[in-house]
Amino acid sequence: MERSVSFVFRWMGRKKTRIKRALAVCVLMGFMVYFVAGCENQVTYREQSRQGVVSIPVILTVDPSSGRKNEEELVKAFNQEYQGKYQVKVEWIMETEEEYRKNLKRQNVTGELPAVITDLRVLPSFYQMMVNEGRIENLAPYINADSEWNAMIEPEVREACSEPDGSIYLAPISTNAFSCSGIFWNKKLFWKAGIKKFPETWEEFWKCCDQLEEHGITPLALHTEGTAWAPMLLATAELADSDSGAEYMKQLYPDSYQNENGIHLAETLKRLFQYTTEDALHTDFDVAYSNFVSGKAAMIPNGYWMLDQFPEDFEENVCFSAFPGNKLVSSPETFGWAVVSDYSDEVKQGAVEFLKFRTKFNQKQRNELLDEKADNAPLLQDYIDAFNGKPQIVPNYQVKWNSILQEETLGDCLPELVQGKMTVDEFVTREDESIRQYEEEQ
Amino acid sequence: MNGKWISSGLQKKYLKYVMALLLLALFLSCVGVWLGVHRNVISVIVDKYEFMNEKMGLALDELYQNTDEATAACILDEGVQKSLKNKGLEETEKTALSKYFAYIDLDHVAEYCYVDNKKNIYTKSYSKITYKDFEESGFAEKLGDDYAKTQWFWAEDKLFGKEDRALFIGRYVHSMDYSHEPGMLFLKMNADVFSDLVEDRRKSADEIVVGIADEDGEVCMSWCPEDFEIPEQTYVKVKQIAKSRESGMLLEEKQIKGGVLSAYRQGDSGMIIFTLIPERVMSKGMGQIYMVLIGVYLIVMALAVVASVYLSRILTRPIQKITKTMTAFDGKDFSRTIELHTNTELDQIGQSYNELLNNIELLLQEIKDQQRELRTSELNMLVSQINPHFLYNTLDTIYMLARINGEETTMRMIQALSKYLRLSLSKGNDVVTVEEELENVRCYMEIQQIRNENLFRYEIESEVDTKSRRMLKLILQPLVENAVKYGFCDIFEGGLIRIHVWETDGRLTLSVYNNGIPMEQETAEKINALGKLPVSEMKNSFPDKQRGYGVVNIITRLRLKYGEDVEFIYEVQKDGTECIIRLPVDGTKENED
Repeated sequence: MERSVSFVFRWMGRKKTRIKRALAVCVLMGFMVYFVAGCENQVTYREQSRQGVVSIPVILTVDPSSGRKNEEELVKAFNQEYQGKYQVKVEWIMETEEEYRKNLKRQNVTGELPAVITDLRVLPSFYQMMVNEGRIENLAPYINADSEWNAMIEPEVREACSEPDGSIYLAPISTNAFSCSGIFWNKKLFWKAGIKKFPETWEEFWKCCDQLEEHGITPLALHTEGTAWAPMLLATAELADSDSGAEYMKQLYPDSYQNENGIHLAETLKRLFQYTTEDALHTDFDVAYSNFVSGKAAMIPNGYWMLDQFPEDFEENVCFSAFPGNKLVSSPETFGWAVVSDYSDEVKQGAVEFLKFRTKFNQKQRNELLDEKADNAPLLQDYIDAFNGKPQIVPNYQVKWNSILQEETLGDCLPELVQGKMTVDEFVTREDESIRQYEEEQ
Repeated sequence: MNGKWISSGLQKKYLKYVMALLLLALFLSCVGVWLGVHRNVISVIVDKYEFMNEKMGLALDELYQNTDEATAACILDEGVQKSLKNKGLEETEKTALSKYFAYIDLDHVAEYCYVDNKKNIYTKSYSKITYKDFEESGFAEKLGDDYAKTQWFWAEDKLFGKEDRALFIGRYVHSMDYSHEPGMLFLKMNADVFSDLVEDRRKSADEIVVGIADEDGEVCMSWCPEDFEIPEQTYVKVKQIAKSRESGMLLEEKQIKGGVLSAYRQGDSGMIIFTLIPERVMSKGMGQIYMVLIGVYLIVMALAVVASVYLSRILTRPIQKITKTMTAFDGKDFSRTIELHTNTELDQIGQSYNELLNNIELLLQEIKDQQRELRTSELNMLVSQINPHFLYNTLDTIYMLARINGEETTMRMIQALSKYLRLSLSKGNDVVTVEEELENVRCYMEIQQIRNENLFRYEIESEVDTKSRRMLKLILQPLVENAVKYGFCDIFEGGLIRIHVWETDGRLTLSVYNNGIPMEQETAEKINALGKLPVSEMKNSFPDKQRGYGVVNIITRLRLKYGEDVEFIYEVQKDGTECIIRLPVDGTKENED
C-alpha cells in the first residue's frame, strides 16, 4: 500500500512536471507564432486616391513680345471657381499666332487637339473642315439649355458665331467691346513731328505719314506674314471708307479681287509699305510690334487685347484711335473658341463650362470697362472713347476671305507687290487664283 | 557520440534537452515560415514578376507612342499632305513618296502601304499591290471610326501576300486644311517587334509564361517554359479583361488554376501583355527557403552537440570527480580530498566536502576519545561501586573502635569521610540537590580541616531553597580541593573558604572564594577562555595533567550536561581568588544539543 501511495505521488510529480513542460512549450510556440505573425503584418499599403477632378486640356500662347500669358487671369479664375470639379490644365506655348494656328492643323490630323481650341475662325477653310468632319462640338444645345448663359450673349455676337442652320460651333464668348481693332500711335513721335492729334480722314492720314517721314520718323510698323494682319487692317479699313468698299468687306468669300475694290486694296497695301520699316517684308507681327514699342515706328494697327501688353514705361507714350474715317475693324467670332469632339462627355461638359465662364468673365470686364472712368489708364480711355464714338465697324477680313489667300497668297505676293516685282494686276490675279484653288479644294 | 564522450547522465540529459529545444525551434520555424514567410515569399516572387509585367506593359506603351509619333510624322509630311489635295502628285512625286515611307523612323517595320484619297498605292518598289488588293484585304475596316487614332491589329497578312500573322499599324491620314477623303497608312511589323519587348526581360525569368494578346483577347504570341502547358483559364481571363476599356495593370496577382496571372492592357492599342507564374516557381522559392532553413538548423544542431558536449564536460568532469571521490570514501581514509580549480561553484562544493571530511575526522576522533574516557569512567565507577556497603560497614566499625578508644578526631573524620563517600556515590545519580552538594563539600572541608589543623575555616551561605534546587554533583569539591592545594599552599593558618549560593537573573549561581594566594592572571584567563573552545579541545589547554585537570573536568561535565548555557569564571582578587559558576535555573535540565 505504501508503495502504491508513493508511486501515485511520484506519478503526480511527474505529471506536474510534464504539464509544466507542455505549458512552457505552448508559451514558447505562442511567442514564436506571434513573432512570425508579427512579421506577416508588414503589408504594403497602397494608397490610391482619386480626386475626381475633371481635367480640361487647353493650349494657350505666351506673347513672344511681352512674355505675358494670354488668358492667364481667366484660367486662374475658372480653376478657383470650379475647384474640386474641373481644372483647366494649360500648356503654355511661346509661339506666334501663325505658328499656333499651324499647330492646330497638325494636332487635328494627329488626334492631339486639346479640349478647347482658339483662333479657329481666322482659318476659314480649317474651320469649315472641322465643322464638316464633326471635329468640334455644336454648342447650340448647351447654350439653348442654359438660360443664364443665353442671357449673357450679345445678339450680334451670337449672330456672328451662328451657322445658317443655327448651329454654333464657335463659342459666343466675346463682346463687341473687346473685339475692335484700331491704331495704336506713339504721341511722343507725333509731337516730335509737330502732329498734335491723330488724323481723322485718310487724306490726313497720308499727310501725317509724310510729315512723320519728313521728321525722320518711320510712320508704320508693318509685316507681310501671319495673314499680313497689320497692313490688311489698315487697307481694309481704308477700303471701307467708300460705300462700295464697305459693302465689299461684308461679302463672305468674295468672287473676285479683280475689281475696283480689289485693285484699290492692293494699291493701298503698296502705298502703306512705303511708310514702314525695312524689316517689314517676310516677317510676322512680332517684328512690327518690336519696332513700335522700341520707337522705330509711330503707328501699329491692332485690337483691344494689346492694351495691356505694352511695357509699362512705354505705355504712357501710346494712344489709341479709330482708323481714319472713324472706323474700327471687328468680328466677334474672330476669337474662335471651340470644344473638340474627341473627348469624353465629362471633359466636353467641363470645356463648355469653361466657355460659359469665359462669356461671364468677358461680360463682367465689359461692364467694368464701359461703366468706369479709366482715369488712371489713358490708353484704355482712348479705346473706350473710340468704341463709344459710334464708329463704323468694318468686318474682319480673316473671317470673310479664303484661307489660301490669307495663309499663302498674301505672304507670297505682298512682298513682291511692295518691291515692285509684281504689279497690282498680277497681285489681284494671284488673289483670284487663291479663290479658285480654295473652291477646288473645298 | 559514444560513451567516451558522453559518460555523464547530466550530459545526456543536457544533450537531450538541447536537441529537443532545437527540434522544437526547427518545427516552429517551419510553422512560422509557412504562416508568415510563405505568403511574403510568394508575394515577393509575384511582385517581382508583376513588376516585370508592368515594365513590359510600359514598354508596350512606349512602342505605341513610337508608332504614333512615326505615323504622325508621315501624316504631317508635305508630300503626304499634297497627295490628299485635289490636284494630287506628279509621277515623280509619287515615286519619291513611296520611298519616303521606307525611311520612317520606326524599328521592325517589315512592309508599308499608304493609300491616298485618289486610290493611289504607295509601297515598297517590289510590291505590286493594287487598290483592289487593298480593298480585298479588308484592312480599311480595321481603322474604324476614330478620326486620327493609331490603330494596332493582329491579323493575317492579306495585304502584302505573305499570309502570316503579324502586327499591323494603321492610321487615317487627313488633310490639314480641307475636308477631303482621308488617306490610309498601314505598317506591317515583323515578329521581332514583340520579341525585343519580351525576351530581354525574360532572359532572367524563363520559368514563367509571357504572352501578348490582341484587343479581342486572342493570344498573338506567347513564351512558355518547356514541359509546361498554359492553363485554359489563362485564355479565359485574358479574354475577360480584353473587354475592358481601361488601361494599365488590370489583373494583379490573380490566383488561377496552375499559377498566378497578371496582365497589363495597353489602353490605346487594346493589346494585352500577361505573365503567368506557374505554381512550381513559387514552390521552388519556398523549397529553397526550407532547404536553407533545415541546412542552417542541421549545422546549428551539429555545432550545438559539439558545444554541448564540450561545455557540459566542463561541468560534469568535476562533478564526476566529486562523485567518484565521495563514492570511494570508506569512512577511514580521510586523506582523499577533492582538488578542483574550475572557477565555478563546484570549487566551493569541493572545498566544503574537504572541510566536511576534516570535521568528520575530528568528530570521529573526539567520539573515540569520549568512548575511551567513558569506558575508563565506567570502569572506575564499577570499581568504586564494588560493594560500598562493605566499605561503609568497615568505616562504621572503625568509627566504633575510635569511639571506644575515645578518639574524637578520628571519629569526626570517619564520620565526614563516610558521608562524603555516600554523597559522592549518591547511588549513581549525576544530579543531586544543592543541599547534598553543599553537604558533600562540607564533609570534604571537614576532612581537610582535620588533616590541616588551623589551616583554614569555611563559610557556606545559601540564599536559595537548597532542598528543591538541583545541580550536577561534585562541582564544588574539586574547586575547594584546588583552593586548599594551591591557594593555601604557602600558609599554615588563617585561610578562609567561602561558598555562596544565590540566584541572579533567573540563574543558579555558585561561588567559591578563598583568601589564599591569588591565582595567576594568565591561568585565570586561560581557564575563562575554555568556555569558547570545543569540548574536545579543552583538555589540550592543560597538557600537564597535574594542573588544571580538575577545572577542565568540571567545565567538560558542565557543558556536556547543560550545553553552552553555562558560565565558569575565575576572578583574581587582591586578597584571593573567586570562582563563579552560573547554571540554568533548573539545574536538572539536560543538554539537548
